[in-house]
Amino acid sequence: MTPYRLPQGGLIDRSTPVSFSFDGQALQGFAGDSLASALLANGRLLVGRSFKYHRPRGILTAGAAEPNALVTIGRDGRTEPNTRATMQELYEGLEAKSQNRWPSLDVDIGSLNSLLSPFLGAGFYYKTFMWPAAFWEKVYEPFIRRAAGLGRATHEADPDAYEKSWAHCDLLVIGAGAAGLAAALGAGRAGARVILADEHAQPGGGLLSETAGIGGKSAPAFAADLLAELAALENVTILPRTTVFGWYDGNVFGAVERVQKHLAHPDAHRPVERLWRIVAKQALLATGAEERPLVFGGNDIPGVMMAGAMRCYLNRYGVAPGRQVAIFTINDSGYALARDLETAGVSQVTIIDSRPEGGIDYAGAARIVRGGVVRDAHGGKALTSITIAAGGKTERLRVDALAMSGGFSPIIHLACHRGGKPHWSDEKSAFMAPSGLQGLSLIGSAAGIDGIAACLEDGAAKGAALAETFGFKAEKPAFGLTAGEIAPMPARPLWTIPGIRGKAFVDYQNDVHRKDLGLAVREGYGHVELAKRYTTTGMATDQGKLSNVNAIALLAEARGVSPAEVGTTTFRPFYTPVSFGALAGPSHGRHFQPVRKSPLHGWAEKHGAVFVETGLWYRSAWFPRDGETDWRESVARETKNVRINAGLCDVSMLGKIEITGKDAAEFLNRVYCNAFLKLPVGKARYGLMLREDGFIYDDGTTSRLAQDRYFMTTTTAYASGVMNHLEFCAQALWPDLDVRLASVTDQWSQMAIAGPKARKILETIVDADLSNAAFPFLAAAEVSLFNGQVQGRLFRISFSGELAYELAVPAGYGEAVADAIMEAGRDHGIQPYGVEALAVLRIEKGHVTHNEINGTVTPGDLGFARMVPAAKPDFIGKRMLERAGLNDPQRHQLVGIRPLDPAAIFRTGSHILEKDAAAALENDQGYVTSSCHSPHLGSTIGLALVRRGAERHGEEVLVWNGLRGEFTPGRLCSPVFYDPQNEKLLA
Amino acid sequence: MASLLPCPHCGPRPREEFTVKGAAQARPAPDASPDVWFDYVYLRDNPRGAYAEYWHHTSGCRRWLIVTRDTATHDVFDSRDAAEGREVRA
Amino acid sequence: MPQSLTLRPALARLPLQRSGLRIEALPEGTVLHLLAPVGSGPAGLTAELGASGLSLRPVSPGQWFAVGDAVLSNTARAALAARLKPAAEVVDQSHGRVRIALSGPMATRVLAKGTAADLSLTAFPIHHATTTLIGHIAAHLTRIAEDRFELIVLRGFAESQWEDLDRMSAEFG
Repeated sequence: MTPYRLPQGGLIDRSTPVSFSFDGQALQGFAGDSLASALLANGRLLVGRSFKYHRPRGILTAGAAEPNALVTIGRDGRTEPNTRATMQELYEGLEAKSQNRWPSLDVDIGSLNSLLSPFLGAGFYYKTFMWPAAFWEKVYEPFIRRAAGLGRATHEADPDAYEKSWAHCDLLVIGAGAAGLAAALGAGRAGARVILADEHAQPGGGLLSETAGIGGKSAPAFAADLLAELAALENVTILPRTTVFGWYDGNVFGAVERVQKHLAHPDAHRPVERLWRIVAKQALLATGAEERPLVFGGNDIPGVMMAGAMRCYLNRYGVAPGRQVAIFTINDSGYALARDLETAGVSQVTIIDSRPEGGIDYAGAARIVRGGVVRDAHGGKALTSITIAAGGKTERLRVDALAMSGGFSPIIHLACHRGGKPHWSDEKSAFMAPSGLQGLSLIGSAAGIDGIAACLEDGAAKGAALAETFGFKAEKPAFGLTAGEIAPMPARPLWTIPGIRGKAFVDYQNDVHRKDLGLAVREGYGHVELAKRYTTTGMATDQGKLSNVNAIALLAEARGVSPAEVGTTTFRPFYTPVSFGALAGPSHGRHFQPVRKSPLHGWAEKHGAVFVETGLWYRSAWFPRDGETDWRESVARETKNVRINAGLCDVSMLGKIEITGKDAAEFLNRVYCNAFLKLPVGKARYGLMLREDGFIYDDGTTSRLAQDRYFMTTTTAYASGVMNHLEFCAQALWPDLDVRLASVTDQWSQMAIAGPKARKILETIVDADLSNAAFPFLAAAEVSLFNGQVQGRLFRISFSGELAYELAVPAGYGEAVADAIMEAGRDHGIQPYGVEALAVLRIEKGHVTHNEINGTVTPGDLGFARMVPAAKPDFIGKRMLERAGLNDPQRHQLVGIRPLDPAAIFRTGSHILEKDAAAALENDQGYVTSSCHSPHLGSTIGLALVRRGAERHGEEVLVWNGLRGEFTPGRLCSPVFYDPQNEKLLA
Repeated sequence: MASLLPCPHCGPRPREEFTVKGAAQARPAPDASPDVWFDYVYLRDNPRGAYAEYWHHTSGCRRWLIVTRDTATHDVFDSRDAAEGREVRA
Repeated sequence: MPQSLTLRPALARLPLQRSGLRIEALPEGTVLHLLAPVGSGPAGLTAELGASGLSLRPVSPGQWFAVGDAVLSNTARAALAARLKPAAEVVDQSHGRVRIALSGPMATRVLAKGTAADLSLTAFPIHHATTTLIGHIAAHLTRIAEDRFELIVLRGFAESQWEDLDRMSAEFG
């Protein structure tokens, strides 16, 4: 016989049938069913195959700890493997498939593994896949990979939305059973901000499966009333379908809310899951206790179930487990199940109680075998009978369902997430939460408290007491009398059952049985952490929720010590598996990272720019024209045009920092290695910033706009780093200086106008006199444009080596001004140019970027030694720059390099060898830091850092690319390939 | 998942808003001995327990803080503006 | 030479009208960055700013934004800057910062998807302001009224911030 739906009873809505399928078979359940309860109601006992031996498995629990009933639900991108049928709400059209079987659940070839089981014991992998070593890649790893894993993930993209949210509260209550509800009410009524999270769709916990009455109401009705009152409180938030999975620093709790995982057609505008980060002043763990299996032979045969789960299916879902039911218990909870079965009309019930004196108050019709054990269960895909051993005799009993209760373990996972160690209680036969926790305490069954009344009292008292600590006036709620409860009192544990014939499983999900643990101890892996790895007990999706305590106790017995001495493995987040979707949240696709757009982005788009991502910025790389088939063509054209006519380049993404305050000059003098005290108003100066270790950090120009106002530019890459650094200097190092910093990168649209015609073009736009006399090289001024329509800032600085200006205008005017410049420059041949052309221009001119400023170079290495005044009393990097090693004449120095054959090329990153030296790193003389094709010189050119480079101009060398096997004869030269006399620059 | 740091100006904020620089040590005088400078630039203690570090509230008030926290438990003992409470080790 | 220069708005977007929430780009008026010595308060500045139609938003110790819907002329801004000296230096950020308003009872729900700041009225009262990460983007957040917030975000990130807010508020569509 199989389980079946009772004609009445339960919290399901029998007026709303729900169709679903399992392995293609159309089935029906009711609204309010879990997938597990609906499968049981349809008589499905066999729902999966075990991991290693492919043994038939059924539904064991009614909650989060389920190790067996893992199914794949959904299809296509919504395929979700390893879904616990016990946690999945039934919805119309739900498609579930069993896992780990081929070709079908009923006929599974893999079950042949069972025949090999003598060879598949603990340490199997370690012992088997050892030699020959050559087999690892080709044989063992593919084999293990194919055999490993539970469900199969889909390769298709998940079409659903996920999001994250923060929440703040005075009190977070985790678990909405009796204790949690009472605590939430105790604090909520007082006015505290309370969040009550429960992993199930319907909060209420054990109350929903309970037949006892509370305050004259049924337990489910009592829970509903409490929830209704909480829902009406504005300061209380109830989060159903929300698993609090981790406890983190700062009393932050991670939780995942399954917002739409129970819906056939999720609303695309809402997330299917929401990841919460809950900041709580205090948290109460009201997670209840996990019932433990008993370790007898065949304890995994479909039809064997946890007693509490059987009671839940019976009372909450109206599903009877069978017609002939045995209950194997070591405590009184089995008697509550027997009573409820009898009430539901299941008349053939046998209780096997390991205690000789157990159940003395029980007055029901069930047969009781006291002082007995179930030694073995029998059956294949369904339970058929059990062997009972009692009083030295054995008895074979026909049953179709067997409940087991091996005691209760408080669910303390979260309490251990921040490093606290649980401690063993002999009295409770369980591990209890660590002591001395701050910000979190435990209530109800999670604290080892038995019985509804005691849990309500405990929750109410602690909830109200915490509200008082938050400054609220609180009164402990009272709930009336509890009637008809059979509470499971602490019992003597029963770890080892003698005389077992069949396989007695400890960890169902990993197919670890009792003998594996003994073997681990005998082979020297008895330490709990070693035993876990050796046997795999406690691993995989359930993380040993049911198995760990049994495993530890069996290890303890095998080692002849107490479980306290064995201890536990480490509890880590996540309590239950969390989807990658929830962890990624919205951060994918368009929302993977923000895009930072220049105010000239639209202008560049109009001119057909190809963009390149530079950090978060989108920079225009080049502007292809009709007929250009290769990016190099476009870059060469842009480069030449700047040299001949003029070009406009968007440099808005350079970091820009405004520096004011009466000590601004002194401040700049300390953060730059070169002198800044005497920079006149109206002048720009190139500046080198060092790190405290003496190496160059960043470069840029700083202009003095007024006596106490400077405008600094940084490289794009280091813009945010330099701002952080300046703030560090101002706030942490020299707080006594009056210096004030503001990032104005986004305020200004900045464009470089470079080329021999640049002045002519700008003169039509800028109101000021731009003649060489009035506005010479390195002039900097606030200017007005278009007869005073716009105020801008003009700098005569040049990265390209041409007569050039950088013009900054308020960002919103950027595009209009750029348009006007293009219009004004049309007759002068102006063209936009991108960062690729900019790079060519600067290499031709020998200007450095972070290719050269790579963290290993000093000012001297780049030929800037004379910029650093010896007399400056202090600047960042001064003392370390004085080190002998940083002034060694053998250091790498900046040089230019050209191939001997103008048609030959070499690449950035290539190494420099002496002309006749062997290609080996011991002969390494340096390396190429930048290279490009120079339209000006008609060949490849490069900048390089070469040992004693400054004195080796003219030397013939070999450029060696070891990765590609390329050798290019070349000659070292001055790094300035273009206009070494600066005639163009100063024109 | 999450770690909160208390900013003296903004209150508790997640770690993502901050940039850590490392040990909060006082910058030596410009004319201090080379040994002192080498220690400052290169040598760090690596204690298990309380450790004072510079943290920048980069995505918040942009103030540099000196945060003293336990390297083993992440408990934060103290958090102050670097400009105000300059209790840094020389 | 153009007769008059066209301003390109940072956020040329129509308001997002959700159920219980409206998100709108505010006029690109004035955002002045006031820089004072750390420890000095805004006292004495409020009157000057009020006369120019600007209201103060605290940014960090010694720093404020003075914001307003209207554009201040260059002369008016320079005059105001002169009057504020030496109490504070003024740096114009009117083009560098973009203001977005969120109003309606769902505003805190949407913002909580991005910021770890506690937005309850007791922890974040009216006129309170702070800079915080909203998702990936740092933004300055002020509570203007119980149900109204003003975001000030870097111009370069304005479009991304807007798209994030669009997504974050979609469930209230």
